[in-house]
Amino acid sequence: MKILCLIRQVPDAEARVKAKNGLVDLEGATLALDGMDEYGVEQALRINTDGANTVAVALGGARFEDAIRRALAMGLERAIHVESSEHLDVVTQAKILAKIVQEEQPDLVFCGGQHADSDSQALGAALAEALNWNQITWTTALEIENSSVKATHDVDDGKEQLELELPLVITTQQGLNEPRYPTLPNIMKAKKKEIRKASLADYGVAGGKVRVVKQEIQDKQRLNKLIDGKDPTAAAEELIKLLHVEAKVI
Amino acid sequence: MFDYFKILENLKPEERDIHTMVREFVDAEIIPQVGDWWDEGTLPRNLTTKMGELGILGPTTPEEYGGSGVSSTAYGLICYELERGDSGIRSTASVQGSLVMYPIYAYGSEEQKKKYLPELAAGRMVGCFGLTESDGGSDPGAMRTRATKDGTDYVLNGSKMWITNSPIADIAVVWAKDDDGIIRGFIVPTDTRGFSAPKIKNKMSLRASVTGEIVLEDVRVPASSLLPGSKGLKSPLGCLTQARYGIAWGALGALESVLSTTLEYTKSRTTFGKPIAGRQLVQHKLVTMATQHSLGLMMAYHLGQNKDAGTMNYAQVSMAKRNNVRVALEGARMARELHGGNGITTEYPIIRHMLNLETVDTYEGTHDIHTLIVGRDLTGLNALE
Ligand SMILES: Cc1cc2nc3c(=O)[nH]c(=O)nc-3n(C[C@H](O)[C@H](O)[C@H](O)COP(=O)(O)OP(=O)(O)OC[C@H]3O[C@@H](n4cnc5c(N)ncnc54)[C@H](O)[C@@H]3O)c2cc1C
Repeated sequence: MKILCLIRQVPDAEARVKAKNGLVDLEGATLALDGMDEYGVEQALRINTDGANTVAVALGGARFEDAIRRALAMGLERAIHVESSEHLDVVTQAKILAKIVQEEQPDLVFCGGQHADSDSQALGAALAEALNWNQITWTTALEIENSSVKATHDVDDGKEQLELELPLVITTQQGLNEPRYPTLPNIMKAKKKEIRKASLADYGVAGGKVRVVKQEIQDKQRLNKLIDGKDPTAAAEELIKLLHVEAKVI
Repeated sequence: MFDYFKILENLKPEERDIHTMVREFVDAEIIPQVGDWWDEGTLPRNLTTKMGELGILGPTTPEEYGGSGVSSTAYGLICYELERGDSGIRSTASVQGSLVMYPIYAYGSEEQKKKYLPELAAGRMVGCFGLTESDGGSDPGAMRTRATKDGTDYVLNGSKMWITNSPIADIAVVWAKDDDGIIRGFIVPTDTRGFSAPKIKNKMSLRASVTGEIVLEDVRVPASSLLPGSKGLKSPLGCLTQARYGIAWGALGALESVLSTTLEYTKSRTTFGKPIAGRQLVQHKLVTMATQHSLGLMMAYHLGQNKDAGTMNYAQVSMAKRNNVRVALEGARMARELHGGNGITTEYPIIRHMLNLETVDTYEGTHDIHTLIVGRDLTGLNALE
């Protein structure tokens, strides 16, 4: 089976992001392979355990190379990097990626369920649309037999089981797997793997349709709510209420 | 990584990738648990296997013997990150890579290399290095352990003290004097009759690392156990140069851990209505720690460049080991002070690093022994012997 993994490079969870001239400035920030994409890479390597017929596809600036090397060091066979530092909207990205899918003819495309930087969940869906393929989103479990795929995915109130035929776009969710560390021997082997470079022009695209006008960093103010702890049961109830109703985290 | 002078930007991409991987491994698999291991005085055996699977044991060893042939800088970064977790875990990696795999690689026969190196690199086999004896570890040339030739075999008698991992090791690289009084190295399987390795108890330092003795009572080994290329004190000292190189990087990892913990702590701890980090006396200590870390890292970085270029000498290694461990130890003591009472519990990593660094300051040549090595190199006058 041939598998494509879409990968992106995003600011590391610990990275301190600054804004400069009204735009986010990633100069000096630590960047890493998006954790959601990592689930896709890992899953591809669990399907094709020797890494054969697995391709990383990246669409982004020169610094995306770090993420590409990471995916190759985890075990993918080769990579395609469409290099562009332009801001590209998801529909334009999907248009380019769909052409790569048509060139490569994979059976399966993995895509991160949600972008760690923009929180967008649209890329997988946009690509499935551009290809006119089926998609499974937010996938937490996956079983493949011949050309039939059984998957579990998260929905608002629980889980849903699906059965679909390949080819498919599958977007990932935490819980799908536990990604491996790239081992030292594999990091050294990745140096010799092929990274094919391409440009937007190669795919007949001049730029995106959306222009980013302004970005700013939101400073979250602490609420500093204190709960009276005299009655522990009441305090616990109050805490649960605040977390559930106000903060909406549980 | 605390990298005030952006040293990482000078690295090769694969060196950065290796660093990132080990850092993630330490954050996920070591830091959350090492406090408990330290408290209990244990180190899980499967951690060595995990390190082997990642390929970080003896990583500079060529591929044909199970290593990855990485640069010395990459090896240094691995030591840095492991010791950011705990000096004991870095010690396990140092012993396995620099003190067991290195002598087998440098002084061993082809057969020995093929037999042992891949097993050690994978962490399936644990090794230990027996040089120090109970009286006067600083003067290993005075060792009493003997290897007497008997037919084609050697018979080993004597004892070794303070040997990292000896109670859990599968093989020991033992240094002993032969019939001509020349120091030779032997690979001794620990299940050989007459070999025992009692554990040293009640350590208050390097607790997440097992330390033991080695007792050799008429331990008979075939001639094929001898490391044929080993001859004289320079052979074990050659191993120590490798390990000291790793320590020069490693100690700075411990310093980063205490510095970053203290930065966070002093910014949130308030007295008299202000965070203590806003006080001049506190800032002085933080700046001292950060400056010493930066200076040490520059030294370690250049040492690595020289090592890979083949221009590193042992006095440079002594200077870097001596300095970087001592500044880390002093930094840990400052961090301990800035944590007040919280600095004495293992709830925080501070006292653990501080106590560990007491060992690191002593082993692999004490601070003062390195003073005398560098002093001799500078002046040409021998104050050591
Ligand atoms: C936890 C731990 C793990 C260890 N692991 C290993 C291991 O795996 N393998 C191994 O072989 N060894 C190991 N060691 C031993 C270590 O290398 C020795 O402890 C070290 O070399 C010092 O020897 P010593 O303890 O006998 O001290 P001594 O040599 O007795 O020194 C005592 C003091 O005297 C000073 N001193 C000695 N000579 C001079 C001099 N000429 N001039 C001025 N001052 C001097 C020293 O600086 C020191 O302050 C380990 C030690 C520890 C604590």
